[in-house]
Amino acid sequence: MTALIEARELTKKYGSHLALDHASFTIQSGRIVGLIGPNGAGKTTALRALLGLTSYEGELSVLGREPLRERADLMREACFIADVAVLPGWLRVDQAIDFVAGIHPRFRRERATALLEKTQIRHSYRMRELSKGMKTQVHLALTMAIDAKLFVLDEPTLGLDLLARRSFYDALVDDYMDETRTILVTTHQVEEIENLLTDVMFINKGRIVLDSSIDEIAERYAAVVVNSDQLEAARAAAPFFERRTLGKTILYFENPDRPKLESLGEVLTPSVSDLFVAKLSGNAA
Amino acid sequence: MNNFVWLVRREFWENKAIWMLPAIVAAFMVVAALFGGVHMGPNDISVGSGSSLSDSHGLGGRALFAFSVVFLIVMSIYSAWYLLDCLYADRKDRSILFWKSLPLTDAETVLSKLAVGLLIIPLVYFAIADLTTLTLAFIISIRASSWVGTSLWQPDNWLQLQALWLYMIVTLAVWLLPVAGWLMLVSAVATRAVMLWSVLPLLGLYLGERWVFGTHMVGSALSDRLVTGYALRAFHGDADGAGMLGAITHEVRAEAGIDAARSVWAYLDPVGFFGSPATWIGAAIGVALIVATIQVRARRSEI
Repeated sequence: MTALIEARELTKKYGSHLALDHASFTIQSGRIVGLIGPNGAGKTTALRALLGLTSYEGELSVLGREPLRERADLMREACFIADVAVLPGWLRVDQAIDFVAGIHPRFRRERATALLEKTQIRHSYRMRELSKGMKTQVHLALTMAIDAKLFVLDEPTLGLDLLARRSFYDALVDDYMDETRTILVTTHQVEEIENLLTDVMFINKGRIVLDSSIDEIAERYAAVVVNSDQLEAARAAAPFFERRTLGKTILYFENPDRPKLESLGEVLTPSVSDLFVAKLSGNAA
Repeated sequence: MNNFVWLVRREFWENKAIWMLPAIVAAFMVVAALFGGVHMGPNDISVGSGSSLSDSHGLGGRALFAFSVVFLIVMSIYSAWYLLDCLYADRKDRSILFWKSLPLTDAETVLSKLAVGLLIIPLVYFAIADLTTLTLAFIISIRASSWVGTSLWQPDNWLQLQALWLYMIVTLAVWLLPVAGWLMLVSAVATRAVMLWSVLPLLGLYLGERWVFGTHMVGSALSDRLVTGYALRAFHGDADGAGMLGAITHEVRAEAGIDAARSVWAYLDPVGFFGSPATWIGAAIGVALIVATIQVRARRSEI
């Protein structure tokens, strides 16, 4: 497999604040990767760097290109939705389609039109006349009609209601994703996307704190539900996080000794959201 | 080239004022000509005023010129505003995040907006001013006494006005390149109050120079660029406003004893303009500012 994105020691400073702190990661093609972190963790900065929207230090290659210097060229094969409702109010739907069709060599007009036909949106509408959810639908139709290798989404559903969010992700996975494409999506609402992902990266304070495929998570991490009588024994096995719930304690282990854990209590595979909480909480080791 | 055409089309979609503003000015003029005693610009003409017949040629030329002046003034103000707003508006409404997701370089974007501000807007005004002048000449020639009418229909006047417009569009685009570059740089950099930022640094430089060195180099460079310098270089010495006006009014030419064949052409000074160091120093500064604008644009995102 070829790495679609390679970042080495990616660093971005805003004054004395380190938005990205020597972050290194690679993303392979054909994956759906979630870049997950709390607010202000550096998600957006990382994506902006990948998309050539901001300067950075360190080495970065996206589809074999240097993003900041070759953004226009990169955008022939990559596309992104950074934030909701960024289509300008004066733009009409048909103008948006005409413009992208005129500019983008890999845009398929009939696909955009077909996607819009499933909605209530008419081509004569201006963006300012549309609701936030409808604007997102237009933007998604425009972007999904581009035959791109990499699709980057930054908090794509922020401010949308539950129905709009669900149909957004359904469209993305059902109508768009195939093995030739790679999707990179950021969110701080983990539970919303954890079922679609093939890979996760956790980012906190500008550093990548976890980078794993979903399959690997089951091997690398375990959670054990422990009764109070076994608690001291379980703590001795060096969990990196523990959490009390309903009189029991859940302890999280990395690279676990499974037979030993099974003697202590019920062993579970932590969900991405649980792992996120475990990895990023204050008492993380 | 294809991208450029789409980018210009985009500017017309976004900025309807490019053609609506001159169309409104034109409509006012036509309405005034239809229903009013026509009263326009610094060189008033009054339909049916009791001027003598000998004035008629000059009057026609003056009227044509006065119409053009109104368009020129509106155009200058609008173009400056357009250039100041063009790289700021899409950062403010965050649509820059959409435009930058398309395979367009920042140079293409900046240069298309520069071309719209310096060339395409003037050409639109030129076209509308021309149509308006024709319409006005037609209306006035019907409404007014015949001598005014005929004077407006002088093909000689008409052609000279075309030449003057086109000459001014080309030379002003070069002369004002540093001004346009400055406005665009402010538009790309500022996070608010673009109007203020376009003036304050220059005012600061001017006052700073005055207080620290007691000199006026910044001030005189600015006033040369914005007020006095252009006419001085682009037209022959005797062509101040009155001279130029004279050039397209037979009457003044006759009074000055200028050969009747000597028309507006005699006043245009392309050799002087393109031979002037100030023209090229300004253009070089303009290019540097545009290059800086492209660099800033590449690194800026929404506000």
